[in-house]
Amino acid sequence: MSGRTSAVGELRHTFRTPVNHIVGYTEMLLEDLPPDDESHRAPLKAILDAAHDALTQISAVLVPSETPATETVRRLYAELEEPQARIIRAVTSLISAQDLGESAAEDLRRILHAAEQLRPAGIDTDAPAEPETEPADTRPAHVLVVDDIEDNRQLLKRRLERQGLTVSTAEDGKRALAMVEAEAFDLVLLDIMMPEMDGFAVLERLKGNKATRDIPVIVISALDDVASAVRCIENGAEDFLSKPFDPVLLKARVGTSITKKRARDRERAFIESAESVAAAAAAVEAGTYRTGSLGAVARRGDAVGRLARVFDAMATSIRAREQLLHERVRALQVDVARAREAQPGAKADAMPQTGERISGRYEIIETLGRGGMGAVFRARDSELNEEVALKTLKRDSLNDPAVLERFKSEIRLARRITHRNVVRTHDLGEYEGGYYLTMELVEGITLRELIDTRHKLGVESALAIGTQLADALVAAHAEGVIHRDVKPHNLLLDASGTLKVMDFGVARLSERSAGITEVGLVVGTPAYMPPEQLLGEEVDARADLYSAGVVLFEALTGRLPFDAGTPMLLIARLLQEEAPRARSVEPSVPEELDALIAQLLAKKPDARPQTAAALRDRLAGIAPA
Amino acid sequence: MSEAKRVLLVEDNEMNRDMLSRRLQRRGFEVGIAVDGAAGVEMALTGGFDVVLMDMNLPEIDGWEAARRIRAGEEGKRVAIIALTAHAMQGDREKALAAGCDEYDTKPVDFERLLGKIAAALGGSP
Repeated sequence: MSGRTSAVGELRHTFRTPVNHIVGYTEMLLEDLPPDDESHRAPLKAILDAAHDALTQISAVLVPSETPATETVRRLYAELEEPQARIIRAVTSLISAQDLGESAAEDLRRILHAAEQLRPAGIDTDAPAEPETEPADTRPAHVLVVDDIEDNRQLLKRRLERQGLTVSTAEDGKRALAMVEAEAFDLVLLDIMMPEMDGFAVLERLKGNKATRDIPVIVISALDDVASAVRCIENGAEDFLSKPFDPVLLKARVGTSITKKRARDRERAFIESAESVAAAAAAVEAGTYRTGSLGAVARRGDAVGRLARVFDAMATSIRAREQLLHERVRALQVDVARAREAQPGAKADAMPQTGERISGRYEIIETLGRGGMGAVFRARDSELNEEVALKTLKRDSLNDPAVLERFKSEIRLARRITHRNVVRTHDLGEYEGGYYLTMELVEGITLRELIDTRHKLGVESALAIGTQLADALVAAHAEGVIHRDVKPHNLLLDASGTLKVMDFGVARLSERSAGITEVGLVVGTPAYMPPEQLLGEEVDARADLYSAGVVLFEALTGRLPFDAGTPMLLIARLLQEEAPRARSVEPSVPEELDALIAQLLAKKPDARPQTAAALRDRLAGIAPA
Repeated sequence: MSEAKRVLLVEDNEMNRDMLSRRLQRRGFEVGIAVDGAAGVEMALTGGFDVVLMDMNLPEIDGWEAARRIRAGEEGKRVAIIALTAHAMQGDREKALAAGCDEYDTKPVDFERLLGKIAAALGGSP
């Protein structure tokens, strides 16, 4: 039978029935009025008008095609408040006038009764609506009716079933407790006066058991036994109903209790879900997170579900990125090993310089290399008893006090960068009128050496270099340090394939007040510099990204985007010509990577990827062809 | 004067019964009352009624089922059945007609309109 009725149909029936009564009785009273009785006609017409307004609201809010939500009903109750007040006002004035005769007075009381049913007292329409982020629980609520009297059980069962509820009955307390243990119930309707185990005892057992204490209980008491009802509510009952049942009250109280129970269930599920997301976060920290393990939570429609989905996606992409980097670094290791084999005499060629102690602290062990700005030595830090790299800086670089000051402050900043892909800067010291810089000693080769040996690197290796370079730049830029001289010469690769960027801050030394006229003198090659730097304009983090683009181009193709016989000619081409596409030189370069490099090499900083993080993310998204 | 037409009101709601039966009596109908579907079927088949006003939302045997049972009986084939429902849902009318009802109306009852439908169901016979 209930299969025919939809929830909205039930609600329409509930709301329209009292309107039917109001309209019917009022129309009858109007029919009975003498034609000239305007004093009674006006309030009766007012009742009819208000009833029709109520009906309009009911039809507008309870739309047949929509499943009514708690919020809908609450809104309807709110809408009905005003017409209900008008009806009650008009009908009370007619009743109190006492001039329509006894039978009319009886019908007026019926109208009043119907008006009261239109909107049960105690409905709190101001309470904030529950957010309906979760799909509503569409399972019919399961109610247990506990009463020793067969007729009462059947009456309640019938009424509740007509509300669309699933109803079970128990004839005594013992049976009720057994049923509640065995099955899930959303509500218990409990008679107080029962032989053997009475309602008080059943309530006590229900509320004393952790497994059952959250099931709401509505106690049923005789009308004159309010004291018992109060005692039950004090002992954890949700509400009470008195016999004989008022069907409207029964419906309202049962409905409210079930709604509350469901809200509590949802709340508990929500908290459990939130806890599982927190546990997943801990698992990620511990490195034990398995992606997809938030499955059930991630299917939730609410904020926790969204959080779980975002979280899982992030964990998945981090893991994928790590995996990818791992593979790429492994490919790079192979390249490094081969390059070392190809130049077995490289270290032997370095001019040894031994014994000298600098600043009483650094003992020179050997020379690692000599460059445009000075020489690099392997040295022992006698205070910390560890080996460091010591780089002497040419005296003439630091003649300009402004340059020296800027350099010092840059080194102070560079010392703050702590990252696995950045060579750690230790100390700046003075030596015989000049300066030296100590830094982390990296046993490895420069990318310059690697490219010179292998001519060009594979896509995997280039991606490993690019990703680690981008990671290093993210860390440096976060500290406010721009490298200004990213080039293969400054990129060290150790035997494990880890790339380390060195000389952060050092490039400040080569900066003079002017750009283009002197740059050729100061820097060995401007090939890796962006136009704005060559022109002596203010540079920002995006200059390093341009340089990274040149490094990637060179690593992939074995040549520079621009080449020319003299530095001046090179600068001219660099400023005027569009860079060739890496893919046109080396067809194995994936299209996405080719496009990314072209963007990095854009003349205008605004046209490049704007941050090192963006570069890193773009690289992570590139699959080798 | 022709004999008063006999209307059977099948309705479980007491106020609806009271109100509608009184209004029909005022208009000269003889009104019989059934409070549930089973009684409604029984009375419709044996009471010599001209029209049945059938509330659809009855407990136990609902209005649709009651209408079908009335139509299944011999006398039930002649009586006019008008379905009444406060659900007022789309498709209710079709369902009512499919169950054998001749007409359908919604509650709250527009009484004059209902009288028109009763007259029509009686085939214009006065």
